[in-house]
Amino acid sequence: MDKSLTWKIGLIIAVIVLSIFLLYPPKDKINLGLDLKGGMHLVMEVVTDEALAIQTDMSATQLRGLFKDGSIPYERISRKGFNRIEITGVPLEDERKIKDILDDDFRDWTYTVGGSLISLALRPNIEQQLREQSVDQALETIRNRVDEFGVAEPTIQKEGLAGDRILIELPGIDNPERVKGLIKSTAMLEFHLVVNGPYLTEEAALQEYNGQLPDDLEIVRTNPRRLDKGFYVLKSATVVPGKDLKGARRAQDEYGAPAVGFSFNSQGATQFERFTAANIGKPLSIVLDDRIESVATIQDVISADGIIKGRFTIDEVDDLVLVLRSGALPAPLKYIEERTIGPSLGADSIRKGLTAALGGLLLVILFMLVYYRAAGINSVLALVLNMLILMGIMAYFRATLSLPGIAGIILSIGMAVDANVLIFERIREELASGKSPKSAIDAGFKKAFWTIFDANLTTVISAVFLFQFGTGPIKGFAVTLIIGIAASMFTAIFVSRVIFELTYGRRKKLSQISI
Amino acid sequence: MLKLFKEEPKFKFINKRFAAFALSGLIILAGVFVFATRGFNWGIDFSGGTLIEVSFQEPTKIDQLRGALAKINLGDAQITRIGGENKFFIKTMASLKKLNLQSGEQLEDIEEYELVAREIRNGIMSESERAAAAAGKIDLNNSAEGEIARYLRDKGLGDEDARESARLILGLRKSGSGIIADFSALEKAGVKNRVVSLLRSEAFLGKYTFLSVEFVGPQVGKDLRRKALLACIWALIGMLIYIGFRFKPLFGLSGILTLAHDVLIALAFILFFRVEMSLQVVAALLTITGYSINDTIVVFDRLRDNLKIMRKDNLEAILDKSINQTLSRSIFTSLTVLLTVLSLFLFGGEVIRPFAFTMLVGVIAGSYSTIYQSCAWLKVWERFLLKRKKS
Repeated sequence: MDKSLTWKIGLIIAVIVLSIFLLYPPKDKINLGLDLKGGMHLVMEVVTDEALAIQTDMSATQLRGLFKDGSIPYERISRKGFNRIEITGVPLEDERKIKDILDDDFRDWTYTVGGSLISLALRPNIEQQLREQSVDQALETIRNRVDEFGVAEPTIQKEGLAGDRILIELPGIDNPERVKGLIKSTAMLEFHLVVNGPYLTEEAALQEYNGQLPDDLEIVRTNPRRLDKGFYVLKSATVVPGKDLKGARRAQDEYGAPAVGFSFNSQGATQFERFTAANIGKPLSIVLDDRIESVATIQDVISADGIIKGRFTIDEVDDLVLVLRSGALPAPLKYIEERTIGPSLGADSIRKGLTAALGGLLLVILFMLVYYRAAGINSVLALVLNMLILMGIMAYFRATLSLPGIAGIILSIGMAVDANVLIFERIREELASGKSPKSAIDAGFKKAFWTIFDANLTTVISAVFLFQFGTGPIKGFAVTLIIGIAASMFTAIFVSRVIFELTYGRRKKLSQISI
Repeated sequence: MLKLFKEEPKFKFINKRFAAFALSGLIILAGVFVFATRGFNWGIDFSGGTLIEVSFQEPTKIDQLRGALAKINLGDAQITRIGGENKFFIKTMASLKKLNLQSGEQLEDIEEYELVAREIRNGIMSESERAAAAAGKIDLNNSAEGEIARYLRDKGLGDEDARESARLILGLRKSGSGIIADFSALEKAGVKNRVVSLLRSEAFLGKYTFLSVEFVGPQVGKDLRRKALLACIWALIGMLIYIGFRFKPLFGLSGILTLAHDVLIALAFILFFRVEMSLQVVAALLTITGYSINDTIVVFDRLRDNLKIMRKDNLEAILDKSINQTLSRSIFTSLTVLLTVLSLFLFGGEVIRPFAFTMLVGVIAGSYSTIYQSCAWLKVWERFLLKRKKS
């Protein structure tokens, strides 16, 4: 046996061993996609406009403070849309002073002055930055919540062209409704003084103010799971901002019923203490995600700790504690896609996928053996090795096997022997032109190489576009296709060549080959 | 040696080019007609909406199911039978308004779809199931593992017992059709007798189960349609550049026209057979773009050689010769993939069938167009091709 052949066989054996090593045990190494093992697939959109609006509101508040400090009179400072602020009724002679303020403290904004009206707009690059930040922050918060809830191997990642979508994949859903609620809660806990209420309808509440609600009030509905259905009129100003919330825990009210305990950081505690001291005897509402969770009269001065009472079940308490702990979402989320795959469907898909793969494999093997006889055995060996390498590489990359992924594997069975067909046909042609078997094999491999290369590369090109376009399972399909094609370049060209050399190489006189 | 052709075949392909163009043109035109009149059967990936895969314990007629849905004003939901006698897809884009339902508050699209799905569930439940559900009993065939475990805990079972029982119940569903027919099956699966007798009185076994439930908001589809189209166009451009670079620009152009032909024919058949246009069908179309060019490349490869060797012959003879020389190759490379796709089509199940169908049509069309059209296009631009040859 000549040296280079020994070296080649060594390489092939190394690849086989490596693939088996990577793949074993397959149950642990191959990740099944949600469509095969069951689970929940969610896509949510972060309403980044809302995050901007919140930011703009804060800037408007800051601006009011600055105007007050500089004793500049104004009629109104208000947010327009989600990224603009309008200042009305400013005296013309203060224009210089205002410009100084804006130039110093509002660098993220562009402004135009038109007489007594000043309009500010958020700079586009800052706006973009804030949007991205809010998505990242949402992603982080969701990850915390899912982790704390204890879902095994979740996938949580950004998705979509605008980058404002979050994909969440939860295998083996245990309690879909609960998880969904957990993820979505913005967990914005706010405290508002109650002015009036409860009313049965929003209209009734409005009527109290002759249909025109003053600017500093708002109407908020109750969370029907905690309180009787109804509406309250609240002071818009929130007593302590949500960010000053430090912790949350399971607690009990005075009757031993489940309740949620919370505590503030020192800044929040000071504010809350001052506020409660000034408002003893008045009703206070606790609002979570724009729903009133609880209304209670302030009995005493409260500083760092408090509890939320209501008709909680233990699970509800746990969930609320969890979301409060994981922090507020920077912006509301909207579900735009939700797929729940039951466990029995996945098992069924695996069965069918395997049947189809075996069927395809058998058909191809049968064809190759009947048509190319001994050379067919060669290609079948190459094919089996191809499958082994494909699975090994997938295991190495921890690629996920989905139903389309199985389709990709089945397709690559057909495509892998394509290369063999091209080579064998070429060898036959060379034989027909009168070449000796050895030089026919030589020429066959040499001449078919570039054709095979071209043909495979085009398939890879479209698979790359597919990967780029696709989501989840479709990406899995593209990946298996690409890996399968790459592996077939090795098996069909290199390995089957070595097999030919092993079969025919040592014979001195070779007059006929079976192809 | 087994051979498709005993000797090198001598078919005349090029002079049949007009017939070939006409045939393909006709199919594509018919496709355009169906597109204009009926349009695609969009899957929820693209249209948005609700898709439920439901399985019944008993053989069920489509009309029965339609009747049940008609009662909740959903008579026009698209119902497709999947394999066997008792599995169906129910697809609808209906909103609450359509069901004459109202919700007290502003709902997001997906929330609405969820309520629609709940209505569908109500619609297909039998009287006894509805009564059992109303009495607060849990349906073991339609609840998640965690829900069953929690329910059992609430009924006074220990945490360990509740969890183990729920796991066994789900295991039983997983191993079979998804529906447990009888409480005695639970005993056999190893659920404790005590728990089974508790379940007999406190739970029920629905005669159906939702195998999968999917909701897609309308905004997703709009994005996706654009992305799918872009991906297809970019893939075609990618091919054009690559082939133009490896061969000649005119070869590239002919290759792309052949490819576009294959995709259009596949689309036409998707339209004819009302195959659902979904993400996986787009994946199949893109795969066709990558794959069906393969045998075209084989012919072009040979053609490039022959153009050098057969300088004295006219173009038509060279083209025919190249096609004939590679004929068995073109047929067999497609055949191997065809075999695997066929297996996928037959055994792969309903979910993957649209993909397999598209591939099947695409591969056949690809083989046909390689033989009858790729070179025929080169004949069409003969003047430019030869001019270049002279210079």
